[in-house]
This record gives sequence, structure tokens and C-alpha cells, in this order.
Amino acid sequence: MTTITSASPADAVADLNSRLDAPVARVAAHTDIIDGVLPRLVVEPATPAQVSQTLAWATERGRTVIVRGGGTKIGWGPTSSSIEVLLSMSELDGVEAHRHGDLTATVQAGTTLSALNAVLAEHRQWLALDPPDEDSATIGGIVATNDSGPRRHWHGAPRDLIIGMTLVRADGVIAHSGGIVVKNVAGYDLARLLTGSFGSLGVIVNATFKLAPLAEASRTVVVDFPGTDQCAPYVAGLVAQASMPTALELAAPPARMLVRFESVETVAEQQASHAVTIAGQHGGTAVVLTGDDETCAWRAHDARVFGADQGGTILKVVTMPAELSSTLARIGEEAQANQLDYAVTGRAGLGVLHVLLTGGAAARASIIMALRSRVPLGQGSVVVRRADAELKSLVGVWGPIGDGLPIMREVKRRFDPTGTLGPGRGPGGL
Amino acid sequence: MIDSDFLSELERIVGTDGLVRDESELLTYESDGLMSHRSRPAAAVLPETAEQVQAVVRLCHQRTVPFVARGQGTGLSGGALPHPEGVLIVMTRMNRVLDIDIPNQRITVEPGVINLEVTRQVASDGYYYAPDPSSQVICSIGGNLAENSGGAHCLKYGFTVHHVLGVEAVLPDGEMVHLGGAALDSPGLDLLGVVVGSEGTLAVVTKVTLRVLRRPQAVRTLLAAFDSTDAAGNAVSDVIAAGIIPAAIEMMDRTTIRAAEAAVQPGFPDAEAVLIVELDGSQSEVETRFKQIEAVCARNQAWGVQVAQDDAQRGRIWMGRKAAFAAMGRVSPNYYVQDGVIPRSTLPEVLRRIRALEQRSGLTIGNVFHAGDGNLHPLVCYDEAVEGQAELAEHVASEILSYCLDVGGSLTGEHGIGSDKACHMPKMFSADDLATMQLVRVAFDPDGICNPDKLFPTPRLCGEVPGPYRAHPAETAGLAARV
Repeated sequence: MTTITSASPADAVADLNSRLDAPVARVAAHTDIIDGVLPRLVVEPATPAQVSQTLAWATERGRTVIVRGGGTKIGWGPTSSSIEVLLSMSELDGVEAHRHGDLTATVQAGTTLSALNAVLAEHRQWLALDPPDEDSATIGGIVATNDSGPRRHWHGAPRDLIIGMTLVRADGVIAHSGGIVVKNVAGYDLARLLTGSFGSLGVIVNATFKLAPLAEASRTVVVDFPGTDQCAPYVAGLVAQASMPTALELAAPPARMLVRFESVETVAEQQASHAVTIAGQHGGTAVVLTGDDETCAWRAHDARVFGADQGGTILKVVTMPAELSSTLARIGEEAQANQLDYAVTGRAGLGVLHVLLTGGAAARASIIMALRSRVPLGQGSVVVRRADAELKSLVGVWGPIGDGLPIMREVKRRFDPTGTLGPGRGPGGL
Repeated sequence: MIDSDFLSELERIVGTDGLVRDESELLTYESDGLMSHRSRPAAAVLPETAEQVQAVVRLCHQRTVPFVARGQGTGLSGGALPHPEGVLIVMTRMNRVLDIDIPNQRITVEPGVINLEVTRQVASDGYYYAPDPSSQVICSIGGNLAENSGGAHCLKYGFTVHHVLGVEAVLPDGEMVHLGGAALDSPGLDLLGVVVGSEGTLAVVTKVTLRVLRRPQAVRTLLAAFDSTDAAGNAVSDVIAAGIIPAAIEMMDRTTIRAAEAAVQPGFPDAEAVLIVELDGSQSEVETRFKQIEAVCARNQAWGVQVAQDDAQRGRIWMGRKAAFAAMGRVSPNYYVQDGVIPRSTLPEVLRRIRALEQRSGLTIGNVFHAGDGNLHPLVCYDEAVEGQAELAEHVASEILSYCLDVGGSLTGEHGIGSDKACHMPKMFSADDLATMQLVRVAFDPDGICNPDKLFPTPRLCGEVPGPYRAHPAETAGLAARV
């Protein structure tokens, strides 16, 4: 079905622009390169209608489309050998509605997370997501990858907060799911289906979320431990004491935990001092941070794995929470055996970790295979987040999907029968 | 087509004891909690294992026979209404607790396990299962999953979809799949996220892994009376504006307060409205927030404030709230339970319209309201012995739904679309929206045999009755208009 025409990019741009209500298609520039591949043309729609026109054209012409928000995660997923249309969503931005009395907001997909939260802060609310790159990562990209950060521990991931969506199908049809109310079970939850689908089922043009109030005060307890072995017992100790942090993060090596409490001043202070006491019982050395020191500590924590100057490969390693210690030990052992440098950060209470690896390609491939081989299906996963094309093709991005793969393929086939939307880039190679 | 050969096949799969074919015995299953919709299945099976479920579904698939899965039958939208030419798969015998994994805060159960039983299984370890629909003493996890059930505490803790981590499910072609898993973030499309809440139209779930939560250190429950629902509504707005997310905020109006008093004597004041506000969390958090809530109530002229001093008092307040639906039976021969959602801030406007409708129709309408998340449960009282009243009640209930949609709300917050509201779906979703949802449906169930005639409007269900136009009683009464 997919035919790569011999028409020049300029001809294709002219052809598409003739179908658009404004000439928002252009020939790609070098800044548009993805994983070393230069797209043929770039479309920068400013309206859902232009997204629809572009997709209808692409499907009709048999051209493939990759969607880009802020471009912060564009290297995630398998590498494409050719990219015909890059749909850049950054012009489709703005907060459509902030219903502060209802704690909901509707936002266009190209809006950055920090721009959204700046608007919501006027009423002391926020979209409770803190993934990396909040200044450039867009809502569409965050939803499409279901990306989140430390405070997922309390607030959840995008799939937990999304209540409505407008999407454009590969054939150009614009559809809505959910609505603007936080409780709603009418119809299939397409918003949740599209969340984490990596653009494989449709293009997200706006999303509606339930929001959270901004806390009055925050404290972060930073605990240094002699080794990672003490981290899991500390987490268990906090849980046993019904401690309710908003973030429960781990970093290694060296072993460190960051435990955040957000509430009114006195409560955050009290909970933090309680967490310090528990840390002492587990052999940790703790300090309580607030204000700028706290902000800096979190920034440094994020940068451990996701820092802009960090090269290397990033893995997402998910484990059962009770397997945290053994998983960390295994990562350490494998890194040592393969002579790789590594850093781990992640959600200690949830078992969701990110691992940064630097070293030879063969060694990186070897550790990924080794880690995957030890995880029973459904009990965890090892997904490649950021890597060079060579490593991605060597080990595959996703790892085993399980017996749900055929029905996932069927859903993809129904939504995108011609394979217009980033073929092969969706989860499980959809 | 179900013939004797097909029945023998079913019997071979589930045993004589697991097959119900006798017409009078089948009457037990002819409706769920929505008793105005009735339909007798051609046969019912009571499988005891996932393999039996798979074999039954495979057989149905081979013969293109419709099937409907049913749990405890407490659903209120006719989602488990049997198909007259199909098999009803009754999941109640699949009620084993398979694994309790406290270190990982997980429990794996079969779908027939009762909601409250999940909490009972982990309570001694200090854990609980958060979704708490009012029917939690009787409804089953499989049904909760199909409907994405909520409950009073979902304001803070979310719905079933937030607590289901993985399922084993039989697809309509008989294939068994595992969606999600015991660990978070299984790679692949989030099909679990769409199966939960799909009202049994995509798969039959045979095993469920749930997350259980640590019991909070402290819980405090307050009941406050108000002289108007507006005042109570303002108090709710002030709570939200203060940046507080309580574990629950429930509102009851005079009609439902009186009904609850008559039925279970929870000791509610005789007021225009009561609010039940529950806070949970750490001791210090709860104490601080509780003072703020008390101040908000005082500012909105609350009176008769009761603070539960112990679990027994707390239990009594919640008994009054959770008994509200059934209690309507004390004050009205019949009642119609509606389930709609509005943006919470539009509550005064919508309640005013409901009051006006009450006066115009002459039917009493009680309101129970999950005030924190905007989920309204108007209870339309009627007497089916009075000719035309049942029909009028149904139209009044529909009219209330249109008020919800007018302010950007939803047709249902927790009871589901089922067979009850399928024909209302085009009022909330465009043809393109519904066609897009159908893409999921046909991917899972191309033959349309898995709980057919639910959720989606079809000409057969919703088509106009042929013949000359006759005004409906509700139209002549000025309550409804055709658009």
C-alpha cells in the first residue's frame, strides 16, 4: 500500500499545501532529522482541521507520518528507515479552558507542560506530572508516551489523569472521547487507549485532565545510604508507618533516596522529620531540604539520567516493587561484568526505574538481553528509551509483549489500515 | 442458533450442574439491577474455571452465538441483560482468591470475588481495596471492572481502572490473553485501560490483579446540615478552592435524608441538605485539614455538625448514605435511579432545573450526589399503579440527563451505558466519535457476539417506531420536546 513516490519534496509540499487551508507544509531542514533520517517534508498545523487535512492526504497518497511535539522524546521507539511527513505540533498550542472550580483543564497538544502549569498556577493548581524537560516537552508528547516523573508516586501517570481527548485518525476523521468531567464512564475510553500509544493510533490534538491543587509547602528528605540494599527496607519502613510522600525516589550509585512531602507547612515538616527518623533506623544519613535547595536537589536528581549533556543509552526498567533490591543488585553486577558505567534513578515505591548506560555498544546490548532474560512476563520489563539506531536494531526497543500482541496489532490495523502513522514505531512494533 | 446439540456441548464443558436450561430457572437471570429491562437467555452457564469460560466462548464463536457475562447482577444500566438467543455466562462460581502479595501490595482474584471480600482478605495486614461502590457488599470484581466502578471515595483514590493492574481475559474468538501485568507499565498498547469500563463488550475477564492500599493513619468523618442545597454546594466549592481533596464529599437532599432515616436511622438532621465529608491521611494532615473543613462549614451556615468519634459512628453515617437508593422504597412505591455527571461548579444551576422539573412533572425527585466529582444520582419517585407514571418517570430521568449534557457533563458517571442509555449516546458523542469507538469493538469482536446491543446505539434498539406521530405524555405535559 505504502508507495514512496519519486516526486521531489518540493512537489510533495506543493501537492499537500494545495489540500491545506493554509500553506503550513514545507521542505524539511537539517534540524528536522530524526535518528539520522531526514524527513521529506514537515507540516506545522495550527488547527485540528489542518492535522485532519494532512492525515487524509497522507493516507490517500500512501505516505507515512511521524508526529513531533517538543522533540524531546522523538528518538524513543524504533528507528525508521525513511520518514516522509513529519507532523510538528508545536503551533497547535494554548490552554483552551481552565475550569478551576472543577479542577479540570483542556489544553492543545503542542502546549509545553511548563506553559500549561504557568496558567494553572494562577489559581494555585497544576497538572500533577513532572516528567523530564517540562519546558520543551509538550502535552501531546507526554500523553503519547505516558511519560511521568517522581511525583507519579502519589499523583499517577498521564493515563491516570486524562479524562478526555480529541484525536485525529489516520483517515483524517476527528473524534472525541471522554469529556470535561472527572467521573465519566460513557463510551470506550479512547483517551486512555491513545495514552502511551506513541502516535500509532491517531494524532492527539487536545487533552483534558483532572488537576491537583498546588501544595502550600514542600519538604524533601535526602537520605544517603551505604549501599542500595538499605533502600528497599527503608521504603517498606515508610509504607509500614503509613507515610504518604508525593515522591519516593531512588538514585544510585551511590545509594540515595529523595522523599518528598507536600501539604501545609506544619504537616510537611512533621512528615519529613518522621521520615528522617525512619532513615536513621535503616542506617541512612538524612537532611531535610526546602526552598531553592530542594529545587536544586530535584534538578540534579533528574539530570542524573536525563541531563542534556549525558550521552549514552537510557533504559526503562520496571520491576515488582518487592524486587527492587535484587533488581538494583543485578543491574550493578551486569554493569560491572560488562564494564559499563551506569546510573539509576526512579520510583522506588512503584518499581519503575531509569538506567543510564555508557560504554561499548556490544556491552550495552548484552546487559539489556541479560536483564530481559531474568524478568518473567508480566513481572517487569526492560524497554529501551534513548539509544543509537544500532543498539535499537540489535536488541529491539520493547522486549517481549506477550500474548496480547495479536489483538494490539488488530486494533492498530483497524485504526490505521494503511500504516500511515509511524509504522513500526508504536509499542510492540505496531 | 442454540439447538440441543449446542446445549449438549455446553453441558460437556460445564457439567450438568453448571448448565441452566430450564425456562423457570432462567427467570433468575432475566434482568440485572435495572429491572425494567428483562430478557430471558436461551441458556445460562456457571463455569468454575477460566478454561471452561474459554471453551464456552470458543463454542459461541464457532456457532456465532451471542454471549453475555454476568457477575452478581447488581449493575444499574442493564449491562448484563441477557440476549434472548444467547448464552449467559454467570461468573459467580469463579470466586477464588488466588494470591495475596502484601510486599507488592497486590492481590489476584477471580472475577466472581465480591468487592468487600478483597478488603477483608488484606485488612489484617493493614491494607484495603479503594473502589467502594455502594453495592460493595454484594457486587463482584468482574462487574466492577466491566463498569469501571467508582464509589464515594473515588474523588481522592480514583476508579477501578486506577486499581486494576492486570487481567487474564478471554477474547470473543476464544483466545486467552494477558493485558497489563503484576508490574506497572507493561509494554504495548494500554488495552487494559479500554477493557476496563467496556461493559463486557470486549472480553470476558477470568483473573484480575488488583492493587491494594495501605490504610491511612487517620480518618475523620463529618456530617453537616445546611438550609439549602446551594449553601451545601458553596461549602463544597470552598473546600476545593482551599486546595483540599477530601477522601469523599457526599451530598443528600431532604427527600433522600428522610428516606435514609426511615430505612436505617443513621441520625441525620432533618435539613434541606447534608454534606458528608471524610478526610484521611496522616494524623497531622487530617487534623489540620479538618479544622479548615469545619471553618468552611461554619462560613456557609452549617448546623447540626456531627463528627464521628469512632468507627461505629463513622459506619452509621456511611450506612445512611449507602442505603439511600434502597431507602427510597420507604417513601415511594417505585423509583428510577438516574446517574449523570456535571462539572461540579454547575451544581446550583442544575439543581434549580431539577427542582423546576419536579414541580412541573408532579413527581418527587430525590438527589444523592457525589459532590466532589459532580456525579448526580437523582431518584425519580413514581407509582407504577398510576397509569402513565412509569413512563413519565423515565422521561423525567432522561430530561435530567439532558441538563447534565447542557453543562458539559456526562450520561453516566458509574452505572454505565448498558442497554439503558445506548440510545442516548448520540446526544453526547458525534457519529465520528462513535464510529471511532466501534473500531475498537470490531478489532476485538468482529462478529458482534460479545454482549451485543449494549453501549452503542443501533437502529434496531433506537429506531423510530413506524406509524403516525403520537405525542408522548411527557411532551403533552411540556416536559420533553422532540428535536
